[in-house]
Amino acid sequence: MSRNEAPASGFNWLRSDNIGARLLRLTLAMVAIMVVLLPLADLSITTRDPWTELWRMLKGMMLPDVTATESPLHALLLTITFALWGVALGMVLGFPLALIFMRSRLVRSLCAFVRAIHELFWALLFLQVFGLSAITALAAIALPYAATFAKVYAEILAQIDRSPARMLSPDTDRLSRFVYTELPLAWQRLSGYTRYRFECALRASVLLGFVGLPTLGYYLESAFRQGRYHEGGALLWAFYLLIALLHWWAHRRLLLPWLVGTAFLLGPWPSVNPTLLWQFISHDIWPQPLLDGDFGALPAWFTGLPNLLPAIGNTLLLGLMSTVGSLLVCLLAWPLVSRHFGNRATRTMGRGTLIVMRSTPELLLAFILLLLTGPSLLPAWIALSLHNGALIAFLAARHADGITPGLPGIKGVDLYSHELMPRIYPGILALLFYRAEVIMRETALLGMLGVVTLGFHIDSSFEYLMFDQAVALLMVTAVINMTVDVLSRRLRPGALPERCDQPRPAPVNESV
Amino acid sequence: MKHWGCCDNLMPYATVAEPYAGPMLAGFDHARLGHDQHVVFPELTLHISQGERIALLGRSGVGKSTLLDALRVQLGDQSAWCPQANALVPTLSAYHNIYMGRLAHFSRWQNLINLLRPNRACWQEISALAETLGLDGLLHRQVDQLSGGQQQRVAIARALYQNRPVFLGDEPVSSVDPRQGMRLLDLIKARHPTCVVALHQRELALEHFDRIIGLNDGRITIDAPSRDLTTDDLDVLYVPE
Repeated sequence: MSRNEAPASGFNWLRSDNIGARLLRLTLAMVAIMVVLLPLADLSITTRDPWTELWRMLKGMMLPDVTATESPLHALLLTITFALWGVALGMVLGFPLALIFMRSRLVRSLCAFVRAIHELFWALLFLQVFGLSAITALAAIALPYAATFAKVYAEILAQIDRSPARMLSPDTDRLSRFVYTELPLAWQRLSGYTRYRFECALRASVLLGFVGLPTLGYYLESAFRQGRYHEGGALLWAFYLLIALLHWWAHRRLLLPWLVGTAFLLGPWPSVNPTLLWQFISHDIWPQPLLDGDFGALPAWFTGLPNLLPAIGNTLLLGLMSTVGSLLVCLLAWPLVSRHFGNRATRTMGRGTLIVMRSTPELLLAFILLLLTGPSLLPAWIALSLHNGALIAFLAARHADGITPGLPGIKGVDLYSHELMPRIYPGILALLFYRAEVIMRETALLGMLGVVTLGFHIDSSFEYLMFDQAVALLMVTAVINMTVDVLSRRLRPGALPERCDQPRPAPVNESV
Repeated sequence: MKHWGCCDNLMPYATVAEPYAGPMLAGFDHARLGHDQHVVFPELTLHISQGERIALLGRSGVGKSTLLDALRVQLGDQSAWCPQANALVPTLSAYHNIYMGRLAHFSRWQNLINLLRPNRACWQEISALAETLGLDGLLHRQVDQLSGGQQQRVAIARALYQNRPVFLGDEPVSSVDPRQGMRLLDLIKARHPTCVVALHQRELALEHFDRIIGLNDGRITIDAPSRDLTTDDLDVLYVPE
């Protein structure tokens, strides 16, 4: 990319109307806005000696202590159990919704709303009613996943080849038509996407430990918080192994045994008091003036909310910074895993690094970095950029691997900047804008670690049992996320007019 | 797909000047045919009678598929349909693809169960059919693992399994060798009193069909018994403008 040292004539080129110039303008605008706003971000390092701490952590990673955690196997299995059953329930709920998704605006808006709130916030909400129980864990995963499945399944089903269905007699009933000509054609992509989501659910399940459910994350958090890095290292390795061996232990044939076997681990089941539940739904989560019908008191209620502007500003700023950061990480990192560059050894090492970056849940990564730097936007920025950048880098490398350079013998920077980058950059930007929605959702979440984003206030509202305030803030978060989603969909290269004869990667499978 | 005027302009049967033996099955009178706002035939007149074996010839994109589609709409339940490029479901077995020919005939529950465990009677009937098409032993195979020619025979088997009096085929023998193409056309003719087939092999058309319809530039330029035509007469259809 020669975007920073454009020669004088390059400004003309930048002004031109072709797709490359448009994408370049978009990128430059994003970077420029970020650079202008960067001084507003709190990037201070408040810990006294981050380097010693980092060294202790690395030592913990290199010398993991597997005996330190009391029942690591139980935590591991519970992590799998919540992920597996959460995804299964999400599928059961999401699939029927997918069938009416394209036809019902109501379903679409509802799904967009449910998706806009992160799993962990749902967990915080359900926690108030169901306590630290299996219902909280399952609902927190199943609900947002159902909404995502509904959207993505519907998109996949809309893209299948219609010609076998057209061949059928018009008298064929809907069910037969669906199971013979639509489901088999979509099956591979549906199961591929579900598989990818299962990996995400494993990360979400780990994160549930941060609100107190006894999954891996619970032990990880306490080990790292208390400086027991050898124990934390062991748990982290266990998680990486779980992800790395996913295709082996989560084989399709083992699915049913896993479901049946883990069913016995689900628990504890709470005793729900219906009166309290009703009280929560009908009373606790609504602003008092609204319940009293006293609308004059609403402004006073609003002034009782914490000052949201800095939090919203921080959320948006972190979202933008992390989007740009992800882009930079991706641009630097994708050659590490592409067949066009390096040798077998460098690629293996690059792949290992990127897999670690991609598999570590962002919140955990941010949490670890936070221990090094103290609470500011810096650890959140680094964590989100590394995680999402690594994820996009993998897909970009795969796209680049499918390209045969036109010039024989072209190598190194020339190959990168002249042959490959122009071809894969639109795809990278498309993925980035898909990812922006996820990044936004996660920025809010990082508030739980003490970074003053919206999530910070949500977390403390729940802590002080001010449910009306917490729910109001969740709504604000959802609205912001939905707005960013709409915005990024507008800006996504797919939405820009381009020549139709150039096939572009369809990133739907890996991105949402 | 949208068709204009393919049904409302039909002439009453009795007034049709009948050059051929059987009663009329389908036809158009000054009809406008097309799809998606695009008119292919501005004014088409064509009649098809029972017992006719018709070959449709013409360059690709000339409207053979449009005409066949319109005929299919008119004939409804009477026609067995073998679409272009097979339109098979690649991830299902050859058996299930052939079974789909009669999907509307069976109840939805039988269809659902058959997907998991093939119905015994249907399996027998379809294996017998597969044998005549040289597909024996391939019924369990997923369709995307079959060769192009085998896939085409599965598509023909699916059309034959529909068991209808009229066969409508859009290049049903395009990806098999000429000798096999002849055998398949014989089989199709043996099982259907009437057939309308789009082809691109002129020799096959002259040899196996009674009537040749040549399409060019939105109209019918040739409509004659095949015994009155030679391959040279058909060349005019393929001359680039």
